[in-house]
Amino acid sequence: MIRTIAKPQAKKVTGCGECRSTCQSACKTSCTVGNQSCERVTREEKIERR
Amino acid sequence: MVHVFHYHDHHYLYDTGSGALHECDEKTARHLAGEPVEFTDEELKATLADIEGLKEAGLLYAEEPKAAPVKSHELKAMCIHICHDCNLRCKYCFADEGAYHAAREMMSLATAKQAIDFLIANSGARKILEVDFFGGEPLMNLDVIKETVAYAKAEAAKRGKRFLFTTTTNGLLLNDDAIAFLNAEMENVVLSLDGRPEIHDAVRKTVSGKGSFDAVIDKIKKFVRIRGDKNYYVRGTFTAKNLDFSKDVLYLADQGFASLSVEPVVTDIPELQIRQEHLPAIEAEYEKLCDEYICREAEGKGFSFFHFHIDLEGGPCLAKRVSACGAGNEYLSVVPNGDLYPCHQFAGDKKWRMGSVYEGITAPEIRSLFASSSLFTREKCGACFAKFICSGGCSANNYHYNDDINKPYEMTCAMMKKRIECAMHVLAERKSREN
Repeated sequence: MIRTIAKPQAKKVTGCGECRSTCQSACKTSCTVGNQSCERVTREEKIERR
Repeated sequence: MVHVFHYHDHHYLYDTGSGALHECDEKTARHLAGEPVEFTDEELKATLADIEGLKEAGLLYAEEPKAAPVKSHELKAMCIHICHDCNLRCKYCFADEGAYHAAREMMSLATAKQAIDFLIANSGARKILEVDFFGGEPLMNLDVIKETVAYAKAEAAKRGKRFLFTTTTNGLLLNDDAIAFLNAEMENVVLSLDGRPEIHDAVRKTVSGKGSFDAVIDKIKKFVRIRGDKNYYVRGTFTAKNLDFSKDVLYLADQGFASLSVEPVVTDIPELQIRQEHLPAIEAEYEKLCDEYICREAEGKGFSFFHFHIDLEGGPCLAKRVSACGAGNEYLSVVPNGDLYPCHQFAGDKKWRMGSVYEGITAPEIRSLFASSSLFTREKCGACFAKFICSGGCSANNYHYNDDINKPYEMTCAMMKKRIECAMHVLAERKSREN
């Protein structure tokens, strides 16, 4: 049996560049882009929830 | 591509094309890994139905993106080396103990303002700009930081833009004034602390050669207490001397720090350097940390470890995933005399000087090299399951270890892959608890 744990949401935007430069976010040596969330989608979802 | 991996008695399938993560039984995992498996008729029928259903939904064996989005040259971020001097003498410092292989110097306010002007002028239509105040030890030049922040905010307001400021500090100069300023103005603050006192003191020495743990711990605790829920990271480095670094992460968590990052050292000092033979111990250590991380989270005593975050649902878009940090193109580093470099890890290496904030970009070929570099120019990444999560590794690490920004260093790849598997397991366990 296969159970889906997580799948990407349909993205509303791509390439807007609003996300932060990965290296600035914490580590400065070994960055992981995938641990960030899309900042624009996150912000828009917060607004929608209000 | 489907990456099959096992974590204790859990079996996972990560589909690189769609970015979906699935958990399955052991037989299905082994079947999808290409191993011979004996299914009963019923099991086989159910497994094939699951696989076909997910394929139709685009969540298994989904086609991977093949082309990199076109990159613009608009600047979004700048690392301002506000101080090429440091009040510590850490043995492993990639920045030559703050001096970056040149004379120790502070950035003047005039150069810092020019850097802000350069960033704004080259930012095109971007609304959000980032500035990281870096060193050496940035707080040695706090007055210039304060005036630069005020200047940047005023200039941004005139142009409908907004700055996000960050900084990294070793904590030695964190007094009430510095704490108040950083908490008011900095979006994120990275505080350097390696973990257990004896581990920290073995490498992070004062100018007189004494361990610095006692001199910083209370200051960093006070800073974090006052900071409240604003972003910060207590960030350590592990070396060949503390391959049992999970103890350092947990020590930091036990000190009350909720947001942690501990990174492998980048150094050529033989006794500190991470080498191939250390890899099995490091991978086991990440698992040990992961297990405890999940236990603490389940007990309501969790903390955040940078590398165990993964956002498979609302993560970055493809443009971000293939272009990574943007160093050398949309992210530049400026040193105290105003010279520009692709990022802080290249600072001081004249081969990589790109120009200056006064004369502009004078080495467009360096910018072109970085602008044309993407996940798809890193040949070794093609067959790797982690490519759309790590984006092909750090260009600076690639260059320092393999002399080529497009050639990932296998050691960092191996650690990255292990951390990603741990992060996926953390996510699966969290989802399981929530359901």
